[in-house]
Amino acid sequence: MAELTYREAVAEGIAQEMRRDEDVVFLGEDIGAAGGVFKATVGLLKEFGPVRVRDTPISEQAILGAAMGSAMTGLKPIAEIMFSDFLAVCWDIVANEIAKARYMTGGQMSMPLVIRTANGGGSRFGAQHSQSVENWAMMVPGLKVVAPSTPADVKGLLAAAIRDPDPVMFFEQKSLYPIKGEVPDGELVDELGTAKVLRDGDDVTICALAAMVPRAIQAAEILSSEHGIEATVVDLRSLVPLDTKTILRETAKTGRLVTVEENPRLCGWGAEVASIVADENFWDLDGPVIRITTPHIPLPAADELEDATMPSADRIVREVSEKID
Amino acid sequence: MAMNVIMPQLGETVSEGTVSVWHAEVGDKVSPKTPLFDVSSDKVEMEVPAPGEGTLLEVRVEAGTTVSVGEVIAIIGKEGEAVEVVAPPAAEKKETKAEITAPAPALSIATKASNRDSNGNPLSPAVRRLIAENGLDPDTISGSGAGGRIKKKDVLAHLGSGAAAKPAPRTDSLTISGETEVIPFNNLRKMTAEHMVRSKATSPHVLQAVEADFASVGRARQAVSTQWKEREGFSLTWLPFVARAVCIAIRDFQRINAQIEGESLVVQRRINLGIAVDLDFDGLVAPVVKDADRMSLSELARAIRDVSSRARANKLTPDDFTGGTYTISNSGVFGTMITAPIINQPQVAILSTDGVTKKPVVIESEDGESIAIRPVGVLAQSFDHRAIDGAYSAAFLHRVREVIETTSWKSMLT
Amino acid sequence: MASKPKAAKGEGRAKASRKKTSAKAKSLANDDIGEETRLKLWRSLLEIRHVEQRAYDLFLQNLIKGTSHLALGHEAVAAGFATAMEKDDWTFCTYRGHHHTLARGASMEGVLGELMGRECGLLQGKGGSMHLTSVEHGAMGSYAIIGAHLPIAMGAAWTSQYKSTGQVSVCFFGDGTTNIGAFHEALNMAAVWKLPVVFVCENNLYMEYTPIGDVTAVENPAGDRAGSYGLPKIVIDGNDADEVYRTAQEAYAKARAGDGPSLIECLTYRHSGHSRADPGDYRPPGELEAWLKKDPVPRYRDRLADFGIDKKVIDGIDEKVMQQVEEATEISKASPTPSLELIEKDVWADGGVAWRN
Repeated sequence: MAELTYREAVAEGIAQEMRRDEDVVFLGEDIGAAGGVFKATVGLLKEFGPVRVRDTPISEQAILGAAMGSAMTGLKPIAEIMFSDFLAVCWDIVANEIAKARYMTGGQMSMPLVIRTANGGGSRFGAQHSQSVENWAMMVPGLKVVAPSTPADVKGLLAAAIRDPDPVMFFEQKSLYPIKGEVPDGELVDELGTAKVLRDGDDVTICALAAMVPRAIQAAEILSSEHGIEATVVDLRSLVPLDTKTILRETAKTGRLVTVEENPRLCGWGAEVASIVADENFWDLDGPVIRITTPHIPLPAADELEDATMPSADRIVREVSEKID
Repeated sequence: MAMNVIMPQLGETVSEGTVSVWHAEVGDKVSPKTPLFDVSSDKVEMEVPAPGEGTLLEVRVEAGTTVSVGEVIAIIGKEGEAVEVVAPPAAEKKETKAEITAPAPALSIATKASNRDSNGNPLSPAVRRLIAENGLDPDTISGSGAGGRIKKKDVLAHLGSGAAAKPAPRTDSLTISGETEVIPFNNLRKMTAEHMVRSKATSPHVLQAVEADFASVGRARQAVSTQWKEREGFSLTWLPFVARAVCIAIRDFQRINAQIEGESLVVQRRINLGIAVDLDFDGLVAPVVKDADRMSLSELARAIRDVSSRARANKLTPDDFTGGTYTISNSGVFGTMITAPIINQPQVAILSTDGVTKKPVVIESEDGESIAIRPVGVLAQSFDHRAIDGAYSAAFLHRVREVIETTSWKSMLT
Repeated sequence: MASKPKAAKGEGRAKASRKKTSAKAKSLANDDIGEETRLKLWRSLLEIRHVEQRAYDLFLQNLIKGTSHLALGHEAVAAGFATAMEKDDWTFCTYRGHHHTLARGASMEGVLGELMGRECGLLQGKGGSMHLTSVEHGAMGSYAIIGAHLPIAMGAAWTSQYKSTGQVSVCFFGDGTTNIGAFHEALNMAAVWKLPVVFVCENNLYMEYTPIGDVTAVENPAGDRAGSYGLPKIVIDGNDADEVYRTAQEAYAKARAGDGPSLIECLTYRHSGHSRADPGDYRPPGELEAWLKKDPVPRYRDRLADFGIDKKVIDGIDEKVMQQVEEATEISKASPTPSLELIEKDVWADGGVAWRN
């Protein structure tokens, strides 16, 4: 067991798969010689050389087009879109092309590719470099959507995404890059579409994703020690496929659901989770579903403003303790 | 390696079961080939074998206890193995996650429990479900939530405290003293008793009967009897013909195939026939043949055979009892002439077929009247007078008889 | 149809011209294209012409729904590039892609059936006119969002470069595409990475309804941009199948040699409107008539005759193709509509559509 940072786990996951499969290639802006703007891909160019690790111009459509064209003809590319906000400039390739090719052609095409991107707030970058857009991808049929919260999950889920025969959008939460965690030694391959129950409690079930997971855990400890409320915390890890079995089981157990999302309020992933639970677990609900989200505004840049905007552990404690009875 | 024995899921819509009997004691060898325990739920009793070979190390749930589906009720392992090494909770979770089931049908709950208690506090869906399922009065439960709101855990605590009645353990033992013998009701007997009383209390029953000439049916049975038995492995009885005739007649008299809800008659589009089956004098069940009207005569015969033989082998699941829209009871094997059946709630009518016997019958034809020997049986229907009137029921029975008498049944089988 | 031979010039003409122009006959013998390839080109031109004409007729009978973008007039571009390809090369095209898909060898009933929404369609009715694809024939998709497929074709070329397979990716698009960002991103990256991809602009003078000259800063929308990516300006007569064929050969050879991409602008003209809904009223009077004189199909018929190929052979191919179109039409009409089960198939590699457990 080694202790790695979230960013080191990215490079480890990619390297593990590039070592095992020659068809895995990697492209993006500043990923090679510079080692990535978040230093999440340091060492890959050195180990695998410029034929497999390719720096690109600032051309997001060309990057994802190259990923798609190479995936449908036999490679397994990993493409980096530096900030998830930039997905908006190449969304055509993501939503109209990559996601639909297999279905539209009656299964003639395969699309084994991964789009990695730095997602979410907490780094004081302002509204165009801080969005949490995993819900955009979740809305498009044909895309798998993964967002890990720990270094071990980064490595294991990234490996699983690279091996998956379908296109996977891999959202790395950029404020988590420096966090450290234990990562098992040796080959690590996780399973897409599986949520993890990180804490067990009888009073309320909190579903969270990515950077909201450590905040939910912290909130659960405070709820326990200061309010006598025991929370179950579920890390969804993957939005598509969605592990509804775990969500339904854990919410039926406590009768209460809280979703903690970084998405702005409207159509965040929590809305879908709440809808599924209301629909299928209605007779097990012991009170209203609570959604904790970023307000429906562009994210502001200044420390105080950003901190007051994104869901924090304190806000989770406040909302849960006030609304749970 | 120790393994858990869990409460199995007896059907898609079932969330708990009662362990009625343990067939092994701690220390006994158990195997998947022999029954480990009996489980009962609503109308079903089922033998459950051990999930693997080994020794019964621990029994966690006494006979008579009702537990949720997926709950660990016993542990099997190697002899002398420490019980603490049961599979870790994480694996346990994975194992049971597929067992989470949809809740009971919304309608029955919504109509049985109000969404506020008498203090005006909201009753959550989970609380309303528990109250409905256990027949509780919310005013007897103390709430620990805001403003005294009753929470799910309050209901569970109430149930656990013994304030609410618990299901009684099943016992087969007889108490013999002097001139009387006391035979305690088993679950099935209790269920049957409760249902019969409720049905009689709910529906004003009216009995009507017609005599039908089974000659055409008799010819068909005779023609295929041997080859049918050889091919299908069971005899072709009168019952499938009656069932088929009922399905055809219901098309013209759809209100027979219905149930009462409040002040409305809810007519069912699907025809799901309940078939009353006696379990060796030890109780009565009515498993359902779904969409019976879509089946051919042969398919219907097979489906009836399937549910009745599974009923006798104790292999029915709760799903076999759901959705019935009309029931047929058959006491014919004992040669009875007429039976007044009790309606299978919430349906509105039930048909009894009795013995088919040869009788002299007056035949009217162009050449005048003559007497012939014909197989004749009585079709007796009890109906709910709230739902329909005598004329409608009579017209339906007339149609059933007409179908039985005039259909060329033989051509359907050959 | 304009492809009927002129009555005045009968069968005798071929014989006479063969005798009279011995220099030309000699050049035929030494010609770089040769009779066999020319007849392949001829067949391809006719297949496209007759299928597109049939598609138009089927619209009028209301047997083809939705929109459809015919390539009547563009036949020589498709026939020329496809005939010069190797079997395992890859074609990428736009929503105006019937001709390129047919030219790679996809069946006529596959194309017509797809347009009609029938089970025999290339995509069993799931894609429609704008998404014709036949991976087994190297027709790697028709892309209906302008510009998207240039980077995708470039990506496919990356595979052949990475695996050293020698395959060339050929990407067809219209003049309107040259003004979208993806065009420039793809050209630049393909040039920098020296990828084996050939970008072919079918300049038919109109981006949908607007004259391309009104909205473009340069005269040749593709040709004049080539220099920006270190590529030579290549503008050719897109209605001359021979010229297209020779240009394609050169570009493929360059790509296979590892010398990178080409950008070729083919001047051509669509005989019908932009799409089914468009009668093409915005075109100045006389323009269509002038271009019909350069119609690639009769032009090539004359070319074949000039090279002394027997009229019977020329007409025989025409008749054979027409017969195939009739058969394909009947097969398509008789084909059932697609099974509703297809709706819940093939979102994922496992064949299913599940997004939850």
